[in-house]
Amino acid sequence: MNGNGKRSALFRLKVWGRNACFTRPEMKVERVSYDVMTPSAARGVLEAILWKPAIRWLVERIDVLAPIRWESVRRNEVGSVMSPRSNGIFIEDQRQQRAGLFLRDVAYTIHARLELTAKAGAEDNLTKFQEMFLRRAEKGQCFHRPYLGCREFAADFTLIRQEEPLPEPIGISRDLGWMLYDIQHDNRADKNHVHCCTESCRPSFFRAELSNGVLLVPSPGDGEVRQ
Amino acid sequence: MILQALASYYRRLSEEAGAEVAPEGFEKKEIPFVIVLDRSGHFIGLDDTREGEGKKKLARVFTVPKGIKKTSGIAANVLWDTPAYIVGRPKPDPKKETVKLLERAQEQFQCFQDTIRATFSDNEQDEAIAAVLNFLGKRDFEQLFSHTAWKEIEEKGMNISFRLDTDTCLICQRPGIVAQLIGNTQRVEGGDTHRVCLVSGEPDEPTRLHTAIKGVWGAQTSGANIVSFNLDAFRSYGKEQGLNAPVGGRAEFAYTTALNSMLVKGSKQRMQVGDASTVFWAEKKNDLEDVFADIFGEPSKENPEQATKAIRILYEAPKAGAPPLTEDYTPFFVLGLAPNAARIAVRFWHAGTVGETARHILQHFEDCKMVHGPKQPGFLSLFRLLVSTALQGKSENIPPNLAGEFMKAILAGTPYPKTLLAAVLRRCRAEREITYPRAALLKAVLARAARFYRQSEQEVGMALDTGNSNIGYRLGRLFATLEKIQEEASPGINATIRDRFYGAASSTPVAAFPHLMKLKNHHLAKLDNRGRAVNLEKVIGEIMDGIVDFPTHLSLQDQGRFAVGYYHQRQAFFIKNETN
Repeated sequence: MNGNGKRSALFRLKVWGRNACFTRPEMKVERVSYDVMTPSAARGVLEAILWKPAIRWLVERIDVLAPIRWESVRRNEVGSVMSPRSNGIFIEDQRQQRAGLFLRDVAYTIHARLELTAKAGAEDNLTKFQEMFLRRAEKGQCFHRPYLGCREFAADFTLIRQEEPLPEPIGISRDLGWMLYDIQHDNRADKNHVHCCTESCRPSFFRAELSNGVLLVPSPGDGEVRQ
Repeated sequence: MILQALASYYRRLSEEAGAEVAPEGFEKKEIPFVIVLDRSGHFIGLDDTREGEGKKKLARVFTVPKGIKKTSGIAANVLWDTPAYIVGRPKPDPKKETVKLLERAQEQFQCFQDTIRATFSDNEQDEAIAAVLNFLGKRDFEQLFSHTAWKEIEEKGMNISFRLDTDTCLICQRPGIVAQLIGNTQRVEGGDTHRVCLVSGEPDEPTRLHTAIKGVWGAQTSGANIVSFNLDAFRSYGKEQGLNAPVGGRAEFAYTTALNSMLVKGSKQRMQVGDASTVFWAEKKNDLEDVFADIFGEPSKENPEQATKAIRILYEAPKAGAPPLTEDYTPFFVLGLAPNAARIAVRFWHAGTVGETARHILQHFEDCKMVHGPKQPGFLSLFRLLVSTALQGKSENIPPNLAGEFMKAILAGTPYPKTLLAAVLRRCRAEREITYPRAALLKAVLARAARFYRQSEQEVGMALDTGNSNIGYRLGRLFATLEKIQEEASPGINATIRDRFYGAASSTPVAAFPHLMKLKNHHLAKLDNRGRAVNLEKVIGEIMDGIVDFPTHLSLQDQGRFAVGYYHQRQAFFIKNETN
């Protein structure tokens, strides 16, 4: 997947929202959120603003700008998966009430860089995508609305320019335990450019530590990311 | 975080001397009956381990090899199981055909023996294993079936295990066998099925089905799961069951054992907060851990002073020479679990230090302090407070989320939930009764919000404050005074103005007070003691000082102040009566 290894300048994007749920895999049925935005959720926000097969996002650091506050909510969800062969499901029959422990009033600064992938063509270069991202982020353009962990928790965002000062992170230091880094997909199993997840698609984890409100994220190849 | 903290608590438990947790690969299980064999496998007798009377009989708990999660298939536990597995006698079920049950039981019986043979290699077979296999192989169970208790065992499908007549422990507890079993669990290392465990970060074989958590109030008695993917809708990335969240076998064992040991009946580390079964623990042994349940729990009838004593420890630890709890940096965790179908949901989760938590608890009691009658307790338990917000004062009527949110606010030292204020006021209005716990709660909500949001306005205190000029507070006092006048004018009447006007007076004063003020004149005229009448008139004048108009309506906060003012003024009347 690695391109020529060259990375773009560092972008800084502030995101915030009323609620967020960065679901822990072990508690994703009765959802419980991680304390802090995960790197993959940050990647999702960036990809909502700009993504092409030619690039990939590398999140380097996440600043926590608002105190970590929790909220316990019960809501209706659906308990079954529709089969493509069926005539559909009647949702009222499949309703389930599930509990969730979500974050509330969150704000983060995402620090990330771009990298070209092997799919980049001759006409692609880093400057092009950098400019594209800056233009789109400044105008508030996005392919789909960025969200904080779950689709229902929409995120607002604003670009922090190079010359602008960074918002102050909260002064909390805490060991957050092992956190989901990302899912490493295995593209060998793809048929006709359609990806189907298999046993070899693996989650990877890293030891997350908040120091003075800053979560440093290792690079994908780093030994700190365990797969 | 939650699973990590639980897993490290298990480590602490297993290291502490005299700890009552099962080692890895084992579990604590109630075994009501034990078959006693001699060395050659002859039946000697059947031990009844239960104690107690009638239906309350409790079986003794033994440490046995960890049971297999039973599903519709056939799988036997090692050296303990139900009669169907042990002797091939099924639990009678009128819904099923007896023939089929018997056939199945024969397979189960075979499976039980095969499991023993597979678990213990032949070359170094223990004499006890040989005895069991011998006993089972002979299939001569007449003596066992003729035992007086056998009928009950079979009907209830009770667990049975084995013991040698010369031993005091079960066969599966013999040192040689335990060593072999531990050896078996450790041998399964390495291999390609390993994944990074999301609790420990080490590669380990992920557990497909997690051990059930028992003892969560309201959940299935057979236990429910925190980590489970029991429907297709919960799966991601084509993963099945536990692979959706790779938790290694060791971590899974540690967290479930720790949680189950805290949730058992009679555990000192659990309590009920509304509908949430709450457990709490510190990373190291700590005083707060011992008194936490007493602080929040309802004082028991036998020992009503216990709660007060526990709170005193918080206040007075420094005086006794012990290091104050409020400066302790040991991590402290509180986990609230509530059932939802076959799963357990996390209601709240608090991770802080002992010191921080103790400070917040003290703050809560400070906020709730309120003048009260001589017979009422100085500190109100969480239960008393919550129940005062519920219909008919029943704990099951406490709004489900309120208890958890309230507890969380206490532990984290944040403002109490806004729904609490509304819930208390609703009860006050509906019952037209401002009780001590309700007044304490209202005052606490207001005082805490004021402190947190740094409002400059003076907030209600714990006793009557004649200098408080808030309109809600003053109208509350006025209302109490008017009621007092009526009571003195016509003692012993059935419905006072409180019964008829409380709701209107507290929410839309302008609709009630002009009328009430007119009534007051009639009441005063009825008083025989003229001096008293003048005095009461004076009190009203003092309260009314500066009030030009009655407001059309009061905000929710002011309604709270109204209730507190009413309560304060009433208490003040009582005190005066005593001194007279």
